[in-house]
Amino acid sequence: MPPKNKKQKDDVQDERFQAIVLTDSFQTRFMPLTSVKPRCLLPLANVPLIEYTLEFLAKAGVNEVHLMCSSHAEQIQQYIEKSKWSSHNSPFTVYTIMSLESRSVGDAMRDLDNRGLITGDFLLVSGDVVTNIDFSKVMNFHKYKKQQDKDHIITMVLTPASPLHRTRSHVDPATFILDKKTNRCLFYQGIPPVDGKKASINVDPELFEDVEDEISIRNDLIDCHVDICTPHVPQIFQENFDYQYLRNDFVKGVVTTDLVKKTIYAYISENSSEYAARVESWATYDAISQDILARWCYPLGPDSNFVNSTSYRYEAKHIYKEEKVVLAQSCKIGTCTSIGANTTVGERTTIKKSVIGRNCKIGNNVVISNSYIWDGAIIEDNTSVNHTIVASNAHIGSNVVLSPGVVIGFNVKIGNNKRIAHNARVSELPIVSNEDLFDDSFESDSENSENDEPSTPSIPHIDINVQDIDLVGEDGVGFLYVSDKDFDEESESEAGDQYSGIIYQMKSLNVSDDSIASVSNRNKTRKHSRKHSRSRRLSTTSVVSTDFDGEIYSEEEEDFIQEAVATVDRSLNNNHDLDTAVLELNTLKMSMNASYHDVRNATSEALVKQVLKFIKTQTLDPKSAAKKVFERWGPMYKRQIFEFEDGIDLLNILQEKIAQSDKAYNQIILFVAVQTLYDEVLSEEAILAWWNSSKNIEDENIKYVRGLTEQFIKWLETAEEESEEEESD
Amino acid sequence: MIHTETKADYSTNTNKMSVITPEIQSLIDPVVSGLKRHQIVGDKVIALAICHLLMKVISAARWTNPYDLINIIRKVGTILNTGYPKKIISGNIVRRVLALIRDEIETENNDNTPMMSSMFSLLSTNSTGNQKVQYNQSKKQSSDFRSIIIQGIRDLEDEIANVNEGIETMSVDLIHDNEILLTPTPTSETVLQFLIKARAKRKFTVLVTESFPNDINTSHKFVKKLAENKIETILIPDSTVYAVMSRVGKVIIGSSAVFANGGCLSNSGVTHVVECAKEHRTPVFALAGLYKLSPLYPFNGDDLIEVGNSGKVLNYDDFKLIENVEIVTNPLDDYISPEHIDIYITNVGGFAPSFIYRIVLDNYKTEDNNLE
Repeated sequence: MPPKNKKQKDDVQDERFQAIVLTDSFQTRFMPLTSVKPRCLLPLANVPLIEYTLEFLAKAGVNEVHLMCSSHAEQIQQYIEKSKWSSHNSPFTVYTIMSLESRSVGDAMRDLDNRGLITGDFLLVSGDVVTNIDFSKVMNFHKYKKQQDKDHIITMVLTPASPLHRTRSHVDPATFILDKKTNRCLFYQGIPPVDGKKASINVDPELFEDVEDEISIRNDLIDCHVDICTPHVPQIFQENFDYQYLRNDFVKGVVTTDLVKKTIYAYISENSSEYAARVESWATYDAISQDILARWCYPLGPDSNFVNSTSYRYEAKHIYKEEKVVLAQSCKIGTCTSIGANTTVGERTTIKKSVIGRNCKIGNNVVISNSYIWDGAIIEDNTSVNHTIVASNAHIGSNVVLSPGVVIGFNVKIGNNKRIAHNARVSELPIVSNEDLFDDSFESDSENSENDEPSTPSIPHIDINVQDIDLVGEDGVGFLYVSDKDFDEESESEAGDQYSGIIYQMKSLNVSDDSIASVSNRNKTRKHSRKHSRSRRLSTTSVVSTDFDGEIYSEEEEDFIQEAVATVDRSLNNNHDLDTAVLELNTLKMSMNASYHDVRNATSEALVKQVLKFIKTQTLDPKSAAKKVFERWGPMYKRQIFEFEDGIDLLNILQEKIAQSDKAYNQIILFVAVQTLYDEVLSEEAILAWWNSSKNIEDENIKYVRGLTEQFIKWLETAEEESEEEESD
Repeated sequence: MIHTETKADYSTNTNKMSVITPEIQSLIDPVVSGLKRHQIVGDKVIALAICHLLMKVISAARWTNPYDLINIIRKVGTILNTGYPKKIISGNIVRRVLALIRDEIETENNDNTPMMSSMFSLLSTNSTGNQKVQYNQSKKQSSDFRSIIIQGIRDLEDEIANVNEGIETMSVDLIHDNEILLTPTPTSETVLQFLIKARAKRKFTVLVTESFPNDINTSHKFVKKLAENKIETILIPDSTVYAVMSRVGKVIIGSSAVFANGGCLSNSGVTHVVECAKEHRTPVFALAGLYKLSPLYPFNGDDLIEVGNSGKVLNYDDFKLIENVEIVTNPLDDYISPEHIDIYITNVGGFAPSFIYRIVLDNYKTEDNNLE
């Protein structure tokens, strides 16, 4: 039951408050474990991750939850069907949406838009959020801002931490620039991984033009990806089909371009007991587990038993135990430890700052610290486990040393006397990279999506991966998982190592992450290069300038014109709506980072081509062809002309393009074009200015083409004089 | 879109307890989750919510025999207890209602078959069978019974809602003119009303501890309310309690639960205050509504004391400290042993801690102490 006053408010506005949960992370950070189980079903403090999110939604008073599932969708669906959330007592109705083709947040949002499920403002969360924030405050903030600012589309929930806070993402940290007074987000920038070079952000000063007071630049916020969105958000994703990421593409795109004319606000939690974080990497998995055990997100904790099936009891010093835990008399249980039911712990074993699942068997003289042992794992005598994750039903022999950063996959068996090196990841079955379900590179073959049987692990290719006896011992089961990207990008992983070195003496568990982090950033390079070129363009006006290659830029310019001409052609031939045509063109412009000059150029070329086509096929005479085309499509220029000079530029372009056509009729075309565009698109002054500026051009063709237009200009001039006379009267 | 239509029975509780029909379960679930999610907060609110729940359960449940009803209510009590064991009040209300039912059975039995005592019927399993026969005889009787019980719960609700009135009436007798009082529990509405009522006839000064970290805002509001009622009020830091104690005439504490041994649960930090009071031989008054009295004994501190958000103690931003400190803990309650309390002021009168067990016996039946 949500607080009453809040519910009433909701009823007034919209009866249903919807939440969209993105169960997929579209990342490979939790490999190899995520090859078997989706990330949101991995246990965090012995409770599947998704439960934390759903619990938050229940508390927030959500009425309808849509789970967007892509990888391992069936597992998620099965889980939800069996959980309390689909019972009739559930505070909300849960729908699982199979969005199997989605390869990114952007895809999922577009899918959502296609399905037309959204009825009003909705809550967008990822399936790995852990939070205890008072959502009614966020909702009030959102409503208040919405009243004040009609263009408000997203409220992001952020919690303050410190730049190097353990719970803060080290994988994609981000800087927010906010209007200090209104908390409007002015700028968003994912920080490039600290690779030893100076990390800087480039900001266009124009962004701050309408800021009344002060801005704050914040690099200390935990972004837990809890957003209240208006229905515009999926639409914008639909319109900008190149948007992949919610933050790096969408938020950045919306705040930095004046195209969409939408605003984003950030809600920053002020209450010290409010906690919000996202399990997005092993580092944050570790940190959030510790936070939960140390009661930073109370009332959410093991002993609140918010999942009905658990029965944890709290004991002093943050020790949580379920029923039927068998502890040997001489074992030592340190602070911040949680132990599940039916687990036995042997003599002289010490456990601290760890989570042990249910039905585990821990032998004698075992040392476990800062580790996460999932349900049913067996650890034999004299083994040492430090900063490690041991997945369900894994079997670790005696005298084994698991070094920091090791991840032992499901059902893996490690033989006696083995020593597993730092950051090694062992999986039961070899995982072949091209079958990688979690490949977040959006270029990945679409064929895969058909073959993907999400609930089954990848088919082993034994010829590549021979059972790794050196690694797991003679009676062991397991393969070393190596991310294919690790091989490809040695330079990248070097950068990653450096990165981890800079991040203080962070737990070694993070190292493995960081290398992945740098790799996953690599995937974005193609997109980044575009952005970089844009930043170069900005550098003339911006205070901070950077030097990136100019080559990409010039190549892309040519590409753009070709593409753009094709786009306009398509619109013309298929007789698209004018808005759609403009939109497509603008999208292309954004993605290729072209200027409006290029856009005008391309549009003109396409339009003139169209006119000529009509004439050549003899469907229409030159005059009516030009008239038809420019009347119908001329208004496209309206969204390409913003200043006086733009108009002149357009006329010059048209003049040039038309001059290249057959002399038999090109005069007429220019005349008609100028006449049609006059008033609606071009002002009188612009036309006159153009005429006068290019009077003395020596090119024969151009002189010729202007022949007929002269009359029009004269008419314009006289009309002007007349109007002036009238005014003087 | 695929609708999840299969409604699986998820709760292990339902399997265990056959007497709880899905219908009743659906009544209990919102209350349990409300407690877990801290959406139902405040002792009085919880007590009234439980009363309301039990009323609904009694009307919804199908039973022919009052002993079936007792079983159902006991199971409800167990579910509530496992759901949120730290709230003793929910158990109290369940036991009060059980006592109500048993009393009613007793009076009916006295009318019909005087030889059958409730104690006897509980201890021997066969007797319930006899009862069944007896009660099946008239349906009218059972519907009467139902309405009697519901009326009883209504009375209980009234008692809870008006608990402060009974306590207030004693305030004038206990507080003297120009006395200095100290209260370390600004969260207690009962204490507030008690002081305001006393102000009508007496003029006195109240010292209020700041109650860092959990109730600091509440204590400020509390002080404001007292000041609005023309009571001279001084807000003091928690650390100065010992220093001011020599001037204090009485310490007045609120309590969230009173145990049968005379000890009670109160806000964290109160132990320290009553310890100081003892040192200075200052009398300590504990205010408690009757519904806070519990027939339980405080055997295990861990089970009683709730540990709250660590963020209140240490700011979460302060990463360097968090990383290096072994443990940050923020207990929300303190257990006050009976030796530290001089008198309990309840809505049925004032009692010494050693007498509490008697009051408990009057209001609860011993057979319901353990609900499982």
